Amino acid sequence: MEFVNPEGLRLDGRRPMEMRQLRAEIGAVARADGSAVFEMGNTKVIAAVYGPREVQNKSQQSNDQALVRCEYTMANFSTGDRKRKPKGDRRSTEISLVIRQTMEACILTHLMPRSQIDIYVQVLQADGGTRSACINAATLALADAGIPMRDLVTSCSSGYLNSTPLLDLNYLEDSAGGPDVTVGFLPKLDRVTLLQMDAKLPVDIVENVMQLAIEGCKAIATYIREVLLENTKQLEYRRGL
Amino acid sequence: MPEEGEKEEMVTPGEVLGKAADLKAGKGAYVAPYRSSEIQYVFSSLTGLRHTLTPPSDSPDQRPTVEVIGHKARGAVPEAGSVVIARVTKVMAKTASADIMCVGTKSVREKFTGVIRQQDVRATEIDKVDMHLAFRPGDIVRAVVLSLGDARAYYLSTAKNELGVVSANSTAGETMVPISWTEMQCPLTGQIEQRKVAKVGS
Repeated sequence: MEFVNPEGLRLDGRRPMEMRQLRAEIGAVARADGSAVFEMGNTKVIAAVYGPREVQNKSQQSNDQALVRCEYTMANFSTGDRKRKPKGDRRSTEISLVIRQTMEACILTHLMPRSQIDIYVQVLQADGGTRSACINAATLALADAGIPMRDLVTSCSSGYLNSTPLLDLNYLEDSAGGPDVTVGFLPKLDRVTLLQMDAKLPVDIVENVMQLAIEGCKAIATYIREVLLENTKQLEYRRGL
Repeated sequence: MPEEGEKEEMVTPGEVLGKAADLKAGKGAYVAPYRSSEIQYVFSSLTGLRHTLTPPSDSPDQRPTVEVIGHKARGAVPEAGSVVIARVTKVMAKTASADIMCVGTKSVREKFTGVIRQQDVRATEIDKVDMHLAFRPGDIVRAVVLSLGDARAYYLSTAKNELGVVSANSTAGETMVPISWTEMQCPLTGQIEQRKVAKVGS
């Protein structure tokens, strides 16, 4: 099947190095300490952060750093066929672990000992790249909650179909069977914190595809920073400063 | 109202605030080497306005402190040395338990438990203190936090003139009037009850 036609356009009309449209909203869940909705094209994800708060399970309490917990779920209506098991299945458990490790490396946990930070991410609409959208939404929600972080973690996926590196795969391109590389990146510190790939990729192409995803991450970081600054300005105006 | 000439910059996590050699990292900032170089820089860890504080003139380190003030209202947390207002919940032979409600002037979001031990009630004759003649359940006390205490409660102390019971209800249910540093009187019945009273006002 042709994923990149002779004119260089993909199935949804994008160019190979073009990302889908981004949209972010902060403060969607008023009761949570921090929350955000993040959209990458048709993929829509909501994240809510509670913390730092007292540890519920005293046996897991750590004396020198905060405990970070993460739960990834997909809403029943998020995919074409109604999902029967929204959480607890292997894929959700794996993605929960991945998001937790990525965010834990970025949060300054030593500043909040004996406390707990809960990150809940739910996919409302899935169209490929849910993992990346979840990490971006979690970053926004953590920044909204005022939890100290080293940098904004951003994530983007890339692939390699019809001998072309493609940025930000949607569901059709993802299920084509080609490689799907997900990168988690700290833009200001210039560090990769997450790198996952499924399927196989020749060694000489890996570098290119990963670099493309990193460029996508940098673009997302610029957008996230703008959204955060705009949101903070609005709050300052409302407080009369 | 923003002051003219004092442009306060809005920053996001990860942004560079300056070199560690020129600035000290305050709240909302941290020090780390920049990318792969050896030079230490100060980075922001929160989203908010960046403030620079001038150092006191007598300190050996004359670097200004840079801090980032976030917009989220954080509930207050008791720290050693802070004055708190607490409500007494349980009075036992050698200790009294209290729920900390305010730290300084800010109220707390989450409940904190404090304990006042027999030797911390007052400064003189500390082993002759009768807890039931110092506090009763329901009293509002002003205390100072001695330390973070054990896993269950903060350690509080009322061993100063201005610390102790600030407001208490008599057995009749009326708010009592302090008479001396050990007694309070009910205005309705005239009954005098013993408490460790705080000296309020000058």
